[in-house]
Amino acid sequence: MIGGRVLVVDDTAFNRRLLVRLLTSIGHETLEAENGREALALLRDPAVAPVDVILLDIVMPEMDGYETLEVLKADPQLRDLPVIVITGVDELTSVVRCIQMGAADYLPKTVDPEILRARIEASMSAKRLHDLERETLEQQRRLLATIDRQRSELARFLSPQVAALVSSDDGEAMLAGHRREITAMFCDLRNFTSFSEAAEPEEVLGFLRAYHGVMGPLIVEHEGTLEHFAGDGFMTFFNDPVLQPDHAARAVGLAVAMRERFADLGALWRKRGYVLEIGVGIATGYATLGRIGFEGRYDYGAVGHAIILAARLSGEAAAGEILIAPRTYAAAEEAIEVQPAGDRQLKGFSRPIPVYAVSAMRTKELAE
Amino acid sequence: MSEAILDPAAFAHLLEITGDDLEFVDELVDTYFDDAVVQLEAMRQAADSGDAEALVRPAHSLKSSSANVGASALAEACRSLEADGRAEVVPDFAGRVADCEAAFAAVRSALLAERASR
Repeated sequence: MIGGRVLVVDDTAFNRRLLVRLLTSIGHETLEAENGREALALLRDPAVAPVDVILLDIVMPEMDGYETLEVLKADPQLRDLPVIVITGVDELTSVVRCIQMGAADYLPKTVDPEILRARIEASMSAKRLHDLERETLEQQRRLLATIDRQRSELARFLSPQVAALVSSDDGEAMLAGHRREITAMFCDLRNFTSFSEAAEPEEVLGFLRAYHGVMGPLIVEHEGTLEHFAGDGFMTFFNDPVLQPDHAARAVGLAVAMRERFADLGALWRKRGYVLEIGVGIATGYATLGRIGFEGRYDYGAVGHAIILAARLSGEAAAGEILIAPRTYAAAEEAIEVQPAGDRQLKGFSRPIPVYAVSAMRTKELAE
Repeated sequence: MSEAILDPAAFAHLLEITGDDLEFVDELVDTYFDDAVVQLEAMRQAADSGDAEALVRPAHSLKSSSANVGASALAEACRSLEADGRAEVVPDFAGRVADCEAAFAAVRSALLAERASR
């Protein structure tokens, strides 16, 4: 075992000299203090190299061993330093008290070099182990902080739900692909193509920034999982990766909120001569969800009948219309107000589908 | 060396643990003399003022260093004074401190005699 640095705290010069001599002869460096106050000053002095073990006398003037122990154990910087109490043979009750106060061990005053050596080494090993443990914990803390930072960075690029999923325990399995019932919502703008042809590119980008700035926070607020933004259109789904028992009603709630918020934005652009209107399609059904894409660029995406249906309904929707599929209506019936919008023959679907146009959220009306 | 004053086994132990370094033992014994004078003075003052509490610390220190140099009788006298000091009842306070002073004088002579005999 390599030598350590030992602080000898004793008011009697005789005891200090003897201990220092013995410690030096077994390869340790030593520091001396005449009482607890001096010892603490040394331990807290940044110019003094840290010590590994403290040998502490109990009966001392100024600050005795008990008080010193108390201060040491209350100090986060010093509490892990092993303290070996030096006691007379007739002081076993004080030994018990010191050990209860956090002393690592005790030594009889009539010193035996072998016992001294063994106790110091045992305390130093314990301290090294403890230091190692503390170092490991510190590394772990830094690692967790890094993961946390990555997660919050990730959240700026992905839906918060997907960002959380990536760093969760079952993330890998979820990303690999799973089936689940979801409600998908497609939203895009009427007249956007003609607008983007007629307007200056800067105007188009300015409009998109404002549009995304209004829609983005609404999606987050309703806890939708945003699959992607593509120009004027975007797709959001509910009930995945986080389960949402009210996913159909939530999707309709988001659509109604979007339509309300878009009214102001649309009015603003109408003054500039552009008539832009929102159109939304919503459908509920089973989908396969997970990592979609290729090495280097993956999205968390959904594939399934319901997604195609939602896209078709969004295409069918007239200006300001929210069209929902029968299964969405059945699931959200209690919460929404609708008008039948006829049976629609949609591309890729063999039979006409009964469609409903949402007029309002029922719960909201009740609350008002 | 009188055994009643100086325990040869304890003194031999001191020599042994210091690796028979007589020069160091002499220094250590001189340190003991210096400490003892200070502690006996404090004990004397405690006796003069009848302050039992003030007796505890010097008696405690002198006890342990005396035991280490082999001054067993003095160590025992100090131990008993320390215990009484803690109990705050010290019968024959001044007389027993005077006994310690006398015992220390004897220990000192014995240790110096031992040194001279080499």
